[in-house]
Amino acid sequence: MKAWLKFSPDITNKSIISDTIKSYDIDFNILRANITPKGGKLLVEISGNQVDESIGYMESQGISVDPIKKVVRKEEEKCVDCGACVSLCPVKAISVSDDWTILVDDQLCIGCAFCTSSCPMKAIKITE
Amino acid sequence: MKTIKEINQKIETGDAVVLTAAEMTTFVEQNGVEAAAEEIDVVTTGTFGAMCSSGAFLNFGHSDPPIKMNKTYLNNVEAYSGLAAVDAYIGATQLNRNPQIGMDYGGSHLIEDLIRGKEIDLAVEAYGTDCYPRKEIETTITLDKLNQAVMMNPRNCYQNYAVATNSTEETLYTYMGTLLPHFGNVSYSSAGQLSPLLNDPYFETIGMGTRIFLCGGEGYVISEGTQHSTGAERRNGVPISGSGTLMLMGDMKKMSSDFVRGATMQKYGPTLYVGAGIPIPVLNEDIARRTAISDEDIVCQVVDYGVPRRSRPVIRETNYKELKTGKIEINGVEVNASPLSSYKKAEEIADELKAWITKGNFFLTEPVRKVPSEGYTVNPLEIKKPSTLVKNLESKPVIRAYPTEGISDVAKKLVDNNINHLPVVDESGKLRGIVTSWDIANAIAKGKTKLNDVMTKRVIIAREDEPVDLVARRIDKHEISGLPIVDKDNKVKGMITAEDISRLIGKEKNNNEVCE
Ligand code: SF4
Ligand code: SF4
Repeated sequence: MKAWLKFSPDITNKSIISDTIKSYDIDFNILRANITPKGGKLLVEISGNQVDESIGYMESQGISVDPIKKVVRKEEEKCVDCGACVSLCPVKAISVSDDWTILVDDQLCIGCAFCTSSCPMKAIKITE
Repeated sequence: MKTIKEINQKIETGDAVVLTAAEMTTFVEQNGVEAAAEEIDVVTTGTFGAMCSSGAFLNFGHSDPPIKMNKTYLNNVEAYSGLAAVDAYIGATQLNRNPQIGMDYGGSHLIEDLIRGKEIDLAVEAYGTDCYPRKEIETTITLDKLNQAVMMNPRNCYQNYAVATNSTEETLYTYMGTLLPHFGNVSYSSAGQLSPLLNDPYFETIGMGTRIFLCGGEGYVISEGTQHSTGAERRNGVPISGSGTLMLMGDMKKMSSDFVRGATMQKYGPTLYVGAGIPIPVLNEDIARRTAISDEDIVCQVVDYGVPRRSRPVIRETNYKELKTGKIEINGVEVNASPLSSYKKAEEIADELKAWITKGNFFLTEPVRKVPSEGYTVNPLEIKKPSTLVKNLESKPVIRAYPTEGISDVAKKLVDNNINHLPVVDESGKLRGIVTSWDIANAIAKGKTKLNDVMTKRVIIAREDEPVDLVARRIDKHEISGLPIVDKDNKVKGMITAEDISRLIGKEKNNNEVCE
């Protein structure tokens, strides 16, 4: 699952994340990070058998966990398969197929919205 | 050797052999030019891309009492009606007059909605004359109620085009799409081997009166387009940059929204995606050879749109085969490349035109006058009064701060000089940061004492040799109130503020008024 982890500044220095990974044996992949003196935000992909438990632990340590249930959807009616969105996607969720149809992979998408705002046809929507 | 007349006879009897330009490339590779010239009658091309220089003439018919339209709005997008009484020209890039909508629904979207048969709000203002007494209209129209709706595009089908990238530190929003910082991506806009004017690079068959596919209906080439130029360097017979263009027209009532779309380039504005396909009669071996051009043989230039000037620097050359892999290398780094025009639609257009011809529904025309292939250059617009450069601005002696200075000293400098920004420099006068009165207030509130901890280190700057207009745009874009002027060595020469610029612009306006 994907989630935003938000921390306040007083816990940025603690090793909560490495503890979580160790204790719950989860795969923990950081997709985006934004850490400032005022605290931080991490977009992560977590997988493993104890995902829910690991989230419970992180929450108990003061990290707020917001799971992402965003769905990126391309309206085929509006899309003209131009491809303008392809090179903007930071996680290669948008690809060009052999017949030049442009495909968006919901599973890979991190909901950054680069493609939605740049699509000339306003064909891509992100819904929660 | 064939003639257009002979080809048309074959089309009539259903015997014409038609290939798309992509199929022709393969055919010639396998069978050679001679066989192609012998066996193939027509090659169809196609392109579907953003063509800003597009629009349509509309005739509304006379109301009772009649009106001489002075200001005309269609779904709140202004159409120019300074021609006769009830004609207007709607341009694709016109913005909506409602600032809340602005770029999101402009001329191009209106054109698409008309073609889709949607009902459109028409609002007209007029001053009233003896023969046209009416002063306003508010009603709705649809495409089929208009007497004429003729798409008339001054400049379409660029022969080739620059490939855009961005060397700067910030994302740029351009007519070539969104360009990520630090060469983060490249954007190209040509159908390559399917593109009409790359298949007839010397305009041997295309000219005034050439019948074409335009947005799903039949259209015509009026002539070469605006900014047509013939001097570009050629490689493998085709120009490596913009070069030739076409002026096109077609009846909007015959068009289909499958092949024409209103679009908005983010933070740039509306543009029209136009689908055009041109049939090329294979009259001889030369033409056969040229229509067999492949993506690999079409060279184009990667250009840095980070330089907002008329001539932008060329970073490297590439070709459409490489671009279509989705990656090209810039300065040793692999960069994602994506198209802005739709190759899928371009193929559909070439296929559709092929089907029309094969079925005997579309005949070729002999151009009345060919598009010129030499003697055309594009002149720049010279501004009589050259743009003011930053270094020519009067700037007050600059007050500087040093990273080691205490907050209270800096606060005093700001107050004593009645200023809001202070550039922070090192011993050699080089820019290290900027500090504003807001930063200082913030620092005091948080109990910070060292300037180094509170100043902004990534500073937006003005260079001495830049036109002031560019700096004004930067101030707008970043919503800042001032920025330091630096020389080649990054040494601070002064400060320029939003007020300085508006004062300068105000002064220019006043001067002009005096001259008039
Ligand atoms: S930019 Fe928009 S129209 Fe173009 S391929 Fe992507 S989704 Fe489709
Ligand atoms: S929202 Fe971001 S991650 Fe998702 S498809 Fe668009 S560009 Fe890619």
